[in-house]
Amino acid sequence: MQSKTPRRPGELVFNLFVIAASLFLFYSAYGIAGFDALSSAGAIPMITTALMTLCGLLILRENLRKPSITAEKIERDILPMPVIVTIIAIAAYALLLKPLGFIPTSFLFLLGLMKLFSGRSWAFSIAAAAGSVALIYVIFRLIFTVLMPQGVVPESEILAAIGHLLGGAK
Amino acid sequence: MMDIINNFLIPFLDIKLLSLVAVGTFAGIYIGAIPGLSVTMAVSILISFTFSWDVYPAISLMIGIYMGGVYGGSRTAILLNIPGAPSAIATALDGFPMAQRGEAGEAIGITTVMSFFGGLVGIIVLATAAPSVSAFAIRFQPRDYMLLAVLGILLVGSLSGDSLVKGVFAGAMGLMIGSIGLDPLTMDQRFTFGSTAMMGGISFIAVMIGMFGVSEALIQLHSMKTPGVKQVINRIVPSFGTIRKYLPLSLQSSAIGVIIGALPGTGGDIAALMAYDHAKRITKNPEVPFGKGAREGLVAPETANNAAVGGAFIPMMTLGIPGDSVTAIMIGALFIHGLHPGPMLMVEQPHMFWFIVGCLTLANVFMLIFGLTGIKIFVKVVEMPRTVLIPLILLLSIVGAYAVNNSLTDVYWMLGFGVLGYFMRLYGYSLGPVILGVILSRLLDDNWRRAIISDQESLPRLLHGIVTSPLSLTLFLAVIFIFISKTPLWAMIRRARA
Repeated sequence: MQSKTPRRPGELVFNLFVIAASLFLFYSAYGIAGFDALSSAGAIPMITTALMTLCGLLILRENLRKPSITAEKIERDILPMPVIVTIIAIAAYALLLKPLGFIPTSFLFLLGLMKLFSGRSWAFSIAAAAGSVALIYVIFRLIFTVLMPQGVVPESEILAAIGHLLGGAK
Repeated sequence: MMDIINNFLIPFLDIKLLSLVAVGTFAGIYIGAIPGLSVTMAVSILISFTFSWDVYPAISLMIGIYMGGVYGGSRTAILLNIPGAPSAIATALDGFPMAQRGEAGEAIGITTVMSFFGGLVGIIVLATAAPSVSAFAIRFQPRDYMLLAVLGILLVGSLSGDSLVKGVFAGAMGLMIGSIGLDPLTMDQRFTFGSTAMMGGISFIAVMIGMFGVSEALIQLHSMKTPGVKQVINRIVPSFGTIRKYLPLSLQSSAIGVIIGALPGTGGDIAALMAYDHAKRITKNPEVPFGKGAREGLVAPETANNAAVGGAFIPMMTLGIPGDSVTAIMIGALFIHGLHPGPMLMVEQPHMFWFIVGCLTLANVFMLIFGLTGIKIFVKVVEMPRTVLIPLILLLSIVGAYAVNNSLTDVYWMLGFGVLGYFMRLYGYSLGPVILGVILSRLLDDNWRRAIISDQESLPRLLHGIVTSPLSLTLFLAVIFIFISKTPLWAMIRRARA
């Protein structure tokens, strides 16, 4: 049952978080029906959260026995800047999606991340982001007909105008 | 019999379904091949886009992607020494040395033809064995289903990740996530914390996309600048003599693949490694040593991992128990389309079973066609830089999570589970048991309650029922054995016997 891999930076903190969350969830599961009956709505939630807590404690015991990796750094190997920026970017995307709409938000999201990750010119990043948004729009909005917030771009009017033009061309 | 043939032929005769299987297989090959994209990720994102479709087109597309993806992983294993999927790890051992010798085309040709054979054997076994397994499973008691669910989670937990404890933790977490919302029997609130938004539970798709899409993309950010390796492609279609020479090994590997694939918790990756090991043991004098580009080292794992697809569908379709995370997601897809895999599926909707067998067969044929053509374009596509690919995967994940309920809450859930999954991966927790837990939560909960109510809320009576029923006892002993085999106690017993 024991693992021979050394302990990575932040592993103990994550482990403690897991135990705290499991304990809290166990308390919440107890609140569903207490020890009312084995067939109550809270029985399986109590068993699973108790199991989570027990496993969390066993993992903690294992972690405390393991030597830590000294060569790894938390800011380089666990939470490097690109990961933090990406998490913030996804949260920002969710915040901006309704007010700005799908097309501008997606373009800004891709442009920012592509520029940051590739380190290439603005022209490349703009072209790659615009091309990708266009492709995703065609596939998912037009073919799969997925509804996305329109926001500041008058999408339906543009689509209607294109449809009108194509219809007129016929 | 005519019904079976008619349903089997539906995807062959309907041009729309035929095209969807073709498109899915084609896309699956690329998805499986591009490092950073996985079949699990693709199918989970795809569910969110196809959930409003009719069931036949949605299933056709997903099966194509699944079948193509399992095969596609071998491409980059051969060309770049980067397995596109875990099931292609063994392929890289001899495939890449062949490519380095300038035989990349031949290696791809052999893997394609052998994958086709393996896939075909898997499908034949599925079609012949599933009805009998299903007929047998109708006699299962609720306690048997409960034990089967525990067995499935325990097997997946014990075979992946750092340790059994982490696997059990992940499985329990999945069961907990699956129980969030209103209890369907008593309407009690479970883990809702008074929020009306949580009464319907957390979107399974948001959990899945977060765990497999976002967390994988975040992990890929650690190795964004990995340079690509350019390859020259020569002759692709293998000669008839080559195929005939390796056919016996291919059939043996298919048998390994089907059996391993049919066991809950073991999928194409384990089947491929076991078949590779088998090939090493039975091939006395390979033309080229194993690990240096032996053709047998390509034939065995590639046949086995595609045969495992048909094998994995047996417990999935007949018992409703997914074997691994990909089949867990396929079950999720079937649920979303109103189907309930399990023994009653064969009784109530046998047409669906034969339709799926038809789709698998068709996808296998398309895999052969696409596998032997268009390799030059393929090489260009897989060289796409990760710096462009990762933001695209993230955008698709967000759109996918949002599209199901048009809800930003689902995007936040996806992000939350993505970050949680990221840390779990970093610290050696496997994510397969989480998704398996979410899928099996309802099955386990319902059957536990049915079993304990029928035994008048008495644990001793339930245990008595288990030990007096041969099937329940077998399942119970299997659970105990798997658990003990992963403890230091088992290691001590083995040392003492040695």
